[in-house]
Amino acid sequence: MTPADMDQALELSPRAVRPSWRDRVLRGLIGALALAALIAMAVDVGVTPTALAAGSGKLATFLRAMIPPNAGGELVRIVRALGETFAMAFAGTVLAAVAALPLGVFGAKSVVPQPLLHFGFRRVLDMFRGVPALVWALIFVAAFGLGPFGGVLALAIADVPGLAKLYAEAIENCDEKPLEGLRSAGAAPPVVLRYGLLPQVAPLMASQTLFFLESNFRNAAVLGIVGAGGIGFELEERIRIFAFDEVAFIVLLYVVCVAVLDTISQRLRARLA
Amino acid sequence: MLELQGVTKRFGDTVAVDNVSLACRRGEMVGIIGRSGAGKSTLLRMINRLSEPDAGKILWESREVSRLRGDDLRRWRRRCAMIFQQFNLCPRLDVVTNVLVGVVAERPLGPTLFKIFPAADRARAVLELDALDMAHAALQRAGTLSGGQQQRVAIARAMLQDPDVVLADEPVASLDPVNAEVVMEALQRICHERNVPVLVNLHSLEIARTYCTRVIAMAKGAVVFDGPPQGLTPAVLERVYGRRAGRTLEPLPAVEAA
Repeated sequence: MTPADMDQALELSPRAVRPSWRDRVLRGLIGALALAALIAMAVDVGVTPTALAAGSGKLATFLRAMIPPNAGGELVRIVRALGETFAMAFAGTVLAAVAALPLGVFGAKSVVPQPLLHFGFRRVLDMFRGVPALVWALIFVAAFGLGPFGGVLALAIADVPGLAKLYAEAIENCDEKPLEGLRSAGAAPPVVLRYGLLPQVAPLMASQTLFFLESNFRNAAVLGIVGAGGIGFELEERIRIFAFDEVAFIVLLYVVCVAVLDTISQRLRARLA
Repeated sequence: MLELQGVTKRFGDTVAVDNVSLACRRGEMVGIIGRSGAGKSTLLRMINRLSEPDAGKILWESREVSRLRGDDLRRWRRRCAMIFQQFNLCPRLDVVTNVLVGVVAERPLGPTLFKIFPAADRARAVLELDALDMAHAALQRAGTLSGGQQQRVAIARAMLQDPDVVLADEPVASLDPVNAEVVMEALQRICHERNVPVLVNLHSLEIARTYCTRVIAMAKGAVVFDGPPQGLTPAVLERVYGRRAGRTLEPLPAVEAA
């Protein structure tokens, strides 16, 4: 690299040879600001090392109380509750998927090209998405009484906006070429959708729905705590009386179930994709 | 000299490359022809060690590169530049960074992770781009370029690798004829100016005849012809491409890619 070469390169593309330091400093500054904000927020909500130290003593006692895990002679009841939780998650997901399908289709920009309509539709979905499943559960348990029914409804309603959005995106991101090929052969619009669109989006949608089933199984435990039945109810009962050995037993069993469900769903999704 | 001795590669029951032995001298421009699935790509990938041979040896200047590990392997890969049919650039990185990939094998890890390169490297990258009329796009994202432009960026990357050997796997199969000419001429120039062996997999016999000093033909993983392009008689082509090609290829313009 002679000085003449360097001069020539600088003349050809000065920014490529000497990247601007201003950009780098700016990027560093943004990083520093983000870090400062993180620390400020942590201090504000009391996430400090002292708080951790204060609580860890009690936490250690709980952990010791967990060993050895123990079913407390209620294995059958626990397994039944787990089954109930799975049933809640399953029913909630199926209901959500059924409701989200038409919403997703109409939420897709390629299906409803009118921008104002599309924008309005998406915002309405966003509004519903802003309400957590727990809030729905509290409302429905109050309305329909204690038990899984409120939980199923809560899961379904909380999932609809998210699933509809994912379905809409799957439809929007599909490859246009097969659809064009069908149109070029004179296919009617429903045939274009059946042959060109459905085979593309069906595996994607199925895979997303399975993913929601997985996370619903995990979320359903939380709903049980507010009275929607299932394993969450059993957990809450035992945490309240400090029966941590039984809590540990339920949690371990639950972890195994989640892992099994995740594995099955992952295999299915890999095959679908 | 690049030497292959009895190189074999199997995928399950199929033998992709079957006991291939050959030698290439510096400054040789070798075209490798054959039907899709004849083992051409696997052969080149084994020389770069992207693929591991099941048997046989690969030597460069009498050093067995098929046994290199770790840093030595990465240094060999750098010196053995590879050009791909689909360019294999990083589409979200700008062009000059894609070209600088050619030196990363021998630069310290820390600065490289922050895209910090010596100014001399960057200047070289720009000059190599300029030699291929691409300096104007140095700061553009590689993914925004056309195929022909991307392949020129890939060649600039290969040049920054200071190659001892250049391997090109169907470099012009996705390009229009004008860009194909630009790319093949660039490969020819590298071959002469750097005095290195260049191995090019080709679908087009015409291109092989125009640019290569030597043609190797493969069929079912084995070498069935090795000689000057003038030796590609209809009888030879029939052995390479099967019966139909031999009959229909007069006057032998090109063979369709599968």
